Amino acid sequence: MACVKLTDVKKVYDNNVTAVHDFNLEIKDKEFVVFVGPSGCGKSTTLRMIAGLEDISGGTIEIDGVVVNDLQPKDRDIAMVFQNYALYPHMTVYDNIAFSLRLQKMAEDEIYQKVTSAAEILGITEYLMRKPRALSGGQRQRVAIGRAMVRNSKVFLMDEPLSNLDAKLRNQMRAEIILLRQKLDTTFVYVTHDQTEAMTLGDRIVIMRDGIIEQVGTPTEVFEMPHNIFVAEFIGAPKMNMLSTKLIKENGKYYVTPFGAKIEVDGKKGEELTAKGVQPQEIFLGVRPEHITLADENSPAAIPCTLEVNEMMGSELHLHVYTEDGTRLIVRIPTINLSHETRDSLVYGKKMYITFSGKVMHFFGKDSNENLIY
Amino acid sequence: MIKFNTLDYLKLSKWDRFCLKIAVFLNLIPARIFALVKKLLILIKNLLLAIYNEAADILVTFINGDWKTRLSYVVMGFGSIARGQILRGALFLLFEIVFILYMILAGGHWLSLITTLGKKGPSTTYDPILDVYTPVYNDNSFKILLYSVLTVFFIIAFIFTWRVNIKQNKIAQKILASGKKLKSSKDDLRSMVDDQFHKTLLALPLTGIIIFTVLPIFFMILVAFTNYDGSHNGFTNSLFTWVGLDNFNTMLSWTANTQGGVQSYSATFGEVLTWTLIWAFFATFTNYFLGMFVAMAINKKGINLKKLWRTILVLTIAIPQFISLLYVGKMFAKNGIINGFLMNMGWIETALPFWEKANWARVTVILINIWIGIPYLMLITTGILMNIPQDLYESARIDGANAWQQYRKITLPYMLFVTGPYLLTSFTGNMNNFNVIFLLTGGAPTNPAASSAAGSVGYTDLLVTWLFKITTGAEAAYNIASVIGILVFVAVAVISLVVYNLLPSIKNEEDFQ
Amino acid sequence: MSVNVSSSKIEKRHMGLKASRNLSNTAIYILLVAISIIWLIPFVCILLQSFRVESTIQVGYVIPRVWGLNNYKNLLSTDFPKWYLNTFIAAMATAVFQTIIVLCMSYTLSRFRFKLRKPLMRMMLILGMFPGMLTMIILYNVLKDLGLTQANSVPGLILVYIASSGMGYYVSKGFFDTIPKSLDEAARVDGATRFQVLMKIILPLAKPIVIYTILTAFMAPWGDYVFARYISFGTSSGKNVAVGLYDWLNHDQIDKCYTMFCAGGVLVALPVTILFMCLQKYYVEGVTGGAVKG
Repeated sequence: MACVKLTDVKKVYDNNVTAVHDFNLEIKDKEFVVFVGPSGCGKSTTLRMIAGLEDISGGTIEIDGVVVNDLQPKDRDIAMVFQNYALYPHMTVYDNIAFSLRLQKMAEDEIYQKVTSAAEILGITEYLMRKPRALSGGQRQRVAIGRAMVRNSKVFLMDEPLSNLDAKLRNQMRAEIILLRQKLDTTFVYVTHDQTEAMTLGDRIVIMRDGIIEQVGTPTEVFEMPHNIFVAEFIGAPKMNMLSTKLIKENGKYYVTPFGAKIEVDGKKGEELTAKGVQPQEIFLGVRPEHITLADENSPAAIPCTLEVNEMMGSELHLHVYTEDGTRLIVRIPTINLSHETRDSLVYGKKMYITFSGKVMHFFGKDSNENLIY
Repeated sequence: MIKFNTLDYLKLSKWDRFCLKIAVFLNLIPARIFALVKKLLILIKNLLLAIYNEAADILVTFINGDWKTRLSYVVMGFGSIARGQILRGALFLLFEIVFILYMILAGGHWLSLITTLGKKGPSTTYDPILDVYTPVYNDNSFKILLYSVLTVFFIIAFIFTWRVNIKQNKIAQKILASGKKLKSSKDDLRSMVDDQFHKTLLALPLTGIIIFTVLPIFFMILVAFTNYDGSHNGFTNSLFTWVGLDNFNTMLSWTANTQGGVQSYSATFGEVLTWTLIWAFFATFTNYFLGMFVAMAINKKGINLKKLWRTILVLTIAIPQFISLLYVGKMFAKNGIINGFLMNMGWIETALPFWEKANWARVTVILINIWIGIPYLMLITTGILMNIPQDLYESARIDGANAWQQYRKITLPYMLFVTGPYLLTSFTGNMNNFNVIFLLTGGAPTNPAASSAAGSVGYTDLLVTWLFKITTGAEAAYNIASVIGILVFVAVAVISLVVYNLLPSIKNEEDFQ
Repeated sequence: MSVNVSSSKIEKRHMGLKASRNLSNTAIYILLVAISIIWLIPFVCILLQSFRVESTIQVGYVIPRVWGLNNYKNLLSTDFPKWYLNTFIAAMATAVFQTIIVLCMSYTLSRFRFKLRKPLMRMMLILGMFPGMLTMIILYNVLKDLGLTQANSVPGLILVYIASSGMGYYVSKGFFDTIPKSLDEAARVDGATRFQVLMKIILPLAKPIVIYTILTAFMAPWGDYVFARYISFGTSSGKNVAVGLYDWLNHDQIDKCYTMFCAGGVLVALPVTILFMCLQKYYVEGVTGGAVKG
């Protein structure tokens, strides 16, 4: 059992800059929680406060019901993986992993057991006698994880552990962390600025900005129901298109009118708008690039636009287009259904028509930037 | 004032840009002074506010305190002991007992004599049987002043500890009220090597600094306001006492530069200060540029035996300076090896007056200082030169820069940026470079016009070597030495402050981490 | 045609480049040899003159006419062995204590962030601007009261050398600053106290700067003149080598003691130089790593 509870946690630096504002979160036992946000949003600071590496300016942090505010890191029973690995350069890999166990005065043969079994899981057995500088980035990362693993601590903290790796290695390590998580079966708090990592790893995602929690939810929740424009744009790649338009209501049905087109809000979204009793108003309309399709010129929902850049991603095309009033949009189209002629015709300056369904729209208040349905 | 935007500025000629910079700098001076004054006022305000808050807190703690807390106002550490924090409380109590005992036994006595620095000077008693006069020593001004300063330090430490003691009580009460447990003595000991480890680590070094640096400095500042010198040594011949600003008057009065053929202190001071600044300038920058030059020569591509050249130079750092300096000093003497060699070769008729004429001596010390300083600078600059990213040079070469332009536009700005703070400390270090001057020339040639109280000051004497001469000389004018010491401090502080604020590389210390 | 012209031009310039590089390298070699000679000559001279037997005065030639160890033998009948011992003891003690103090100070200032940190550093900067010379007057009197001057100068000297050594934290703090803080943090999360972090992580990594500190602390007392002069005032047995040898070059002594001074200088310089040369690597690392960063 190891739950972490943060109540009104605050961090104010000496120069009166507030890095974290009243942070409230309850992390359940064995949950994998990801803090995600742009740099400087306070996610690392929060993690470091949990670890005890930063003083807590206000509020309380509890681990397993014990307030740990005044406890030293060593007394909190946590393990942590650092962004730059923080391996002790003067020790071999074996000694690095054994360091914490030796501090606990564990018997050497027991240490040997633990270190070798951890090394086996991580596939670094053959490097145990090497010094960290003789290892590659990925191997160093494994050692850092191994060092945290052997401790069997209540909470496993990871501070951007993959950001120093190259893209390919990052994907591989991400998968390994998921496996590791199954094996360790403990509470994880993971910090990253990469929304893909957050979506793939987290049971729950905490999206932060400027020291404030913007939204907490499962990956599906934050993807399908972003609470505000910030979250909507932050989660998903390429990012969600935002169109300034109007929400109107005719005969009990809602419509949006982007660029002269008129698209009905149908399905669940329409019901939700009705249930909330949302008034017709100026809105920001959010549409994910993958929800935009190429349209027929004659459809009433067709939006005319011009192609600017065509990025060929392999299984899909990313089309950067601009509409008649100059708004730039990104459209993501799977290549599998495209004919060769269509594909070849998509070049700079091509006039084309796009549309999207009313089922996949997000409505944000013009002033509040908040989701109107939420 | 005309407002320039960046683009207008770029259109200006080099000369105009330079003038503009000067104008902007001069224009900013009033604002800077104003900002400084404002800063000072805010500092004073904050200080007063802090004192007020402390006093208020002491009062409030007393009112809200339980009897344990209240008793701790008189018996330090009582609250801690009563609440089970034996170790803390015992230390507080011990400190209070030691303090009270000291004040009764010694401190009070010394403080009572501070106003006059002693009442009864030495006298003699006549012994009619042996028919001799034996001296009787009474008060000792030196000790009175010294132990008074010590006592004041002790009192400040006591007040501080007393305040901490009260704060501890307040905190303990608060913790107990919220139903938590207090730290035990064991916890206290443990935190000494953990979260309070910095206090443990700093205790010894800071004690040393306070006793052996801060206290003496306070003492010497006070001496500047007394007539402590060889003929008033405070014990065996005559007591010394407060004389107000007399010494500063002697030092700084510009009325008479010479009196009866003897230079006034102020004139001597002016001469020595000027030479000190000239010396510091040349010593710093000749070493800096020549050291950099040698480092670049050794580092140049295609030069072999780099290690050998470096080792030969480094040898001079290894050999204790007093040997190399004394020896080299003698090499340049009238009958030294250099003159001997030159005369044997028939290049000169009579010995060159390296140490006999003022300007010869001054140039020679600067030259010999280059010999001493280059190896050190060579080491420092080698490290930095290697850190300059090579692609800067590559791109400059592609842009068509020649070797001189590369040096002028890349190496030098980079070096100056990185070594800015070093240059500053090196400049002030050279102002106080006792060894080189004293071991080479001892200040010679002597300035015949200077007063004998100025300790036979010479033309190569720096302020520090002059200080040494004054204090060890026949008249031992400690009071004048103190005044000079204060003036040296002011000079160094002003230079440092001005330069420090102009340096770009020390704005943010954390940038390096 | 035009192509030909330009290519031959380029070739010409290329040749010119090579030639000028050769020329400048030759110039640099000549310079380096000259520098080496200038830098080594005094040491060669002092070594040669220490073996001169025919006279003890300063002379205008370098190579002795009669060689011998007389000067070294004569050293033994003076107080020189005593001075040597004084200096050696002071140097050893200073090396140990000063290193401990400097490391305490610099580790703290590099790693801990406490309220008084910046004021403390500023205070030490300001204190450093006072001429240290002046404080000697009072320290001399205090040490005299404690009986640590004249013949007993060694403990007094050690005390003076190490007492304020905390102010020399600059170089090693600069080095500590280059050790990533995340190592401390990782160790603390791993269960280490601050003390254990220092002993198990920082010190092993700071080996170069530890050796640099020991080396400079050890070397300083060999060259100290001012403090030793004050403290040993008026006695011969309390002097250190610097004061003792300096006095041999006084006007009334120099003719008698000049070659003995050379011999003494060689004996002082030898061990220090050998030690220094062995540990040169660390010294260079310390100077270049820490001195400039500040």
